[in-house]
Amino acid sequence: MLQSASCGFGYLAFSGLNGMVRGAMQDRPPVHPARAKRMIFLFMSGGPAQLDTFDYKPQKGKKAHPGSVYNFKQRGESGLWISELMPETAKHADKLCVLNGMHADTGIHAQSALQLHTGDRLRERPSLGSWVSYGLGTESENLPGFISLNTSRPSVYSSSFLPSIHTGTPIGTNGQAMAKATIENVNGTHLPLSAKRRQLDYIQFLNRNHEAARPGDETLDGVIRSMELGFRMQTTAPDLLDISTESPETLERYQVGKQKGPVGTCRMSDFGRQCLLARRFAEAGVRFIELNHGSWDQHKNHRRDLEANCAATDGPIAALLEDLDQRGMLDDTLVVWGGEFGRPGLTPGNGKNETGHNANGFTFWMAGGGVKPGFAFGKTDDTGARAVEGKIHFRDLHATILHLMGLDPHSLTYRHAGRNHRLTGPEGGRVVREIFA
Amino acid sequence: MGKRRTTALIVSFLSLQGIGAAPSSPDSKAGHAFFETKIRPALVAHCYECHSTDAEKIGGKLLLDSREGILTGGESGPALVTNKPADSLIIHALHWKDDLEMPPKEPLPPQVIRDFEEWIAMGAPDPRTGPKVELSGKTYEDGALWSFEPVKNPTLPAVADKSWPRDAIDHFTLAKMESLALSPARDAPAETLVRRLYFDLTGLPPTEADIALFRAERIMDENDAVEKLVDRLLASPQFGVRWGRHWLDVARYAESNGNDGLSRNPTFPHAWRYRDYVIDAFNGDVPYDRFLQEQIAGDLLPAESDAERDRQLIATGFLALGAKPAKAMNNNFEMDVVADQLDAIGSGVLGLSVACARCHDHKFDPIPTRDYYAMAGFFTSTETMWGLAGNEKLTAPPTDLHVLKAAPEVPPPPWWRESVLVLESNTGIPKAIPQPKWKAGTPLAMGVRDRKETADAKINLKGDARKLGEVVPRGFLTAYNEQIDSPPISKGTSGRLELAKWLTQSDHPHTPRVMVNRIWLHLFGRGIVNTPNDFGVYGERPTHPELLDHLATRFVEDGWSVKRLVRAIVLTRTYQLDSIGPEAAAKSDPENIWLTRHSRRRLDAEALRDAMLAVSGQLDRSPADGSIIRHRDILVNLASDGLHEPSRHRSIYLCYLRNSPPPELAAFDLPAFNKVLGKRESSTIPSQSLFLYNNPFVIEQSRHLTDLVLSSATEDGERVQTLYRLALNRTPDPEERYRAVELLDETKRETGSAELAWNSVCQALLCSNEFRYID
Repeated sequence: MLQSASCGFGYLAFSGLNGMVRGAMQDRPPVHPARAKRMIFLFMSGGPAQLDTFDYKPQKGKKAHPGSVYNFKQRGESGLWISELMPETAKHADKLCVLNGMHADTGIHAQSALQLHTGDRLRERPSLGSWVSYGLGTESENLPGFISLNTSRPSVYSSSFLPSIHTGTPIGTNGQAMAKATIENVNGTHLPLSAKRRQLDYIQFLNRNHEAARPGDETLDGVIRSMELGFRMQTTAPDLLDISTESPETLERYQVGKQKGPVGTCRMSDFGRQCLLARRFAEAGVRFIELNHGSWDQHKNHRRDLEANCAATDGPIAALLEDLDQRGMLDDTLVVWGGEFGRPGLTPGNGKNETGHNANGFTFWMAGGGVKPGFAFGKTDDTGARAVEGKIHFRDLHATILHLMGLDPHSLTYRHAGRNHRLTGPEGGRVVREIFA
Repeated sequence: MGKRRTTALIVSFLSLQGIGAAPSSPDSKAGHAFFETKIRPALVAHCYECHSTDAEKIGGKLLLDSREGILTGGESGPALVTNKPADSLIIHALHWKDDLEMPPKEPLPPQVIRDFEEWIAMGAPDPRTGPKVELSGKTYEDGALWSFEPVKNPTLPAVADKSWPRDAIDHFTLAKMESLALSPARDAPAETLVRRLYFDLTGLPPTEADIALFRAERIMDENDAVEKLVDRLLASPQFGVRWGRHWLDVARYAESNGNDGLSRNPTFPHAWRYRDYVIDAFNGDVPYDRFLQEQIAGDLLPAESDAERDRQLIATGFLALGAKPAKAMNNNFEMDVVADQLDAIGSGVLGLSVACARCHDHKFDPIPTRDYYAMAGFFTSTETMWGLAGNEKLTAPPTDLHVLKAAPEVPPPPWWRESVLVLESNTGIPKAIPQPKWKAGTPLAMGVRDRKETADAKINLKGDARKLGEVVPRGFLTAYNEQIDSPPISKGTSGRLELAKWLTQSDHPHTPRVMVNRIWLHLFGRGIVNTPNDFGVYGERPTHPELLDHLATRFVEDGWSVKRLVRAIVLTRTYQLDSIGPEAAAKSDPENIWLTRHSRRRLDAEALRDAMLAVSGQLDRSPADGSIIRHRDILVNLASDGLHEPSRHRSIYLCYLRNSPPPELAAFDLPAFNKVLGKRESSTIPSQSLFLYNNPFVIEQSRHLTDLVLSSATEDGERVQTLYRLALNRTPDPEERYRAVELLDETKRETGSAELAWNSVCQALLCSNEFRYID
């Protein structure tokens, strides 16, 4: 069904100049009532240690075993267990829906991160944000439907074989200062804006003739749309990226520019700025916003680096949740926190400070967007080594997210190279209805 | 998942044992192709979930993941009756007839069901049979190890349209098209072909004079004119710039280390010598086997002159250029360097992810960890020299460098002072600028040499250099043992020379296949194997296996000459097809796997910049001398944007700092150069539009183009003509011309500046798709 809708839009795109401008990325109705209109994905790259953050594993029995090595407390009215490393996020415990039964196929960073983002761990496939953009279009006429902040690799925002207009727009590169991160080349004063528009009309006149002589090439259509979107971004994006209009109190709350470090694997990501920008983009109608902090791959200095990673992200995330809630946006904004896998626990008292990768059981959490608040779902075994209850594979996560966004994960397909593709792959994913509010 | 799958394969083969030759059916190549393109994907997508050995519960005891399974059937009996779709249970089920509704959620599209009917009608050809194959302790589906089999020299397939092929290559492509009932597009018009050839062979657009010459020659003799043009382009020094750049992607070439994981990024001030070596090698058409030998063991090859010695030492920079992780707290640092070297050879030369076997036997390919350490011994016996690397002991500790003999000394100018200072993170004091032990200006090169003490490596258990296992004698991948010779390693040497020889023996199944596939990819936009760095079990299968072998055979027989192979390919009819093809083929084959037309391609970052410089008259086609960082042995960390300087030279000569790419290139999918790259991405994102609208480089080129256009004539209509000829190699049609003049007039009125108005029109053409996409 979506297939034909997509063709319809493609057709509309050429029905006239204004039709082209609008039709390309028009807001589309969801296939069933959506619980979330937009999503903010807090990608914690490197594999966050769930047993020291959101999956409490106290010692059981006489013999010491891997588990949590930080103190946990029950928080809020819901009594969710959250560790001392996340004191600010913990204040929002009653907004969180913690998924302790996550599992994935591989403990290889690149492959698992790719699978988390695209459903496939080996081949280049459209990313989650691109599928959402493809399924729903954008609410904004002047901004892309999908923005990727502080991104580390193009595959996380690639639209692959989906029309390229659904590619995410990167702002800032992982490892470079977020304070300076902007949409490159968004400003230019060589011509007045009206003259630029006239120039673009001529470019698009050429491009449409060029495309008409080359039927069947979707890329060319993608470029035409992308030229329009880029043009409109010139007027909208600079203001959105300028956070100087925010009050000092807000900047303080988000801890913009306050990250200490880098410390070990914990890189400078100015996660505060990312969270604040995410809120501003969400307010402006961007459909899918991905944030990136890493690396949580704290092998050898587990405690030091984990503490740094938590310190860098805890306050900003709390501020984001608070602002979304206060603005009434949490109801239709799905916030998702997690990484490509988790880590095995340390064993208290044995002096070790090194952890590896664990794809067999780890934690995600969600907030807002139609999920149960103050709720924990799924379980790992006593050592946190593997998910044993309420298991959620990335495929299931994808199916659940798409469903919450008003899309049918089974029929959101795109025909490419002779067969229909979908985010959840041939196996399909399970919509985890148990976590719906 | 991978693990599960391997097990499943073994299981399904065990179940096949005891079955003799497959039942007779027209298992022609075409039949198998039909199965692979139409049936297998549908089975995998819609049926395997419940009907494969991988399924959690097997539905109705029916297995559809083997030929035997389909023929034997499940609880309801055989799934199909060969040649009789109407009597076949599977067809009934697909039609949702007789209470049997498969797949259960919704019926498949009618076309797919028709495919199944057609397939059964043709005898249900199914290649999922054959003996199980065992290699290096693993069991494989027949055909999975195709790339390990010797290169055959296939006979030319017969084609129906005998007048079509121009070269043997055309026989293979046409035969494939004919077997799929597809027909090729018409030949590309001359203007299209000329632009294509210039960009593909030199990365530059043709000039007006180039086109005039081609036109004149074409009047004399049409076919001869193309050959002459191709020979001119192959002889041009710009060929090496273009094709050298392709290899630099494979070689993960960059001029700084990149973020070491701790945000330190030391420069490699001598890396550019390797860049120049590569450009010269492609221009000189150094045979590919020799080219590899120089890069892997140039220091061990005899040299007749200082210049030759220098050249060969510089070549070994290939092994030293990789991005290194921090040494600090990293016991595995030395083995990380080795892993990068093995990956450059594995992915880059062999098309195999050898590096995966560092911690465990390769999950998919027949590469046990023992083999990894057998090869690692070559490099643990080798001293890798990246230089001072900013003198940061915590990143890559300073090493020696090759001192060149014939290269001139180039000391920094007297006024030279280091202006980029990095502060110590804990004290805030500027870091000291390292003082090299060499006299300023000494010609130096990155590279490798044998260690004084050479030794075999020990297995690092789980890739941990502190947990050592048994010693593995230096050697090669055992998967090849029965096929190709493994030369003995000379005592007291690292063995890299033997490694280089082993890789380049004429019957090596991977080396020539991988390289001809790279060449093909750069000329067609898609490899015959679509995963150019992975010819392993989980890489994609060749779309034209016989063509691949034909090319590999020809390449080796032709003395591993890249230029000769490029020449042969671009003179084929297949290469010279129009990019606009029959609409049916475009729909059924959007990726153009079957080559019914030429694939339109976007200019990559370098070609776009070079083309803009070229048409605005600003391009300096001469090689740049060295690099802007040749005197800067510093940590640039991440704030290195300030280092880049505008240049009129070709893009290859810009400063390729990792994590801080040249701003003029960054927008168009410039890779990170951290690992071997076979194919650039080609995304379309609004940030690219913004680059075209606002980047100072683009605006500057439109100004230069304005100057050219304004001085060419006095009348605006004529000037528009000039602009179109310069930018697009054609004349504008009346509407294009009229609208351009209209844009000029309006912009003039608005800004009061004729020059600004012209800038706008010139920029418009540089931004247009016609400028940026090559048919």
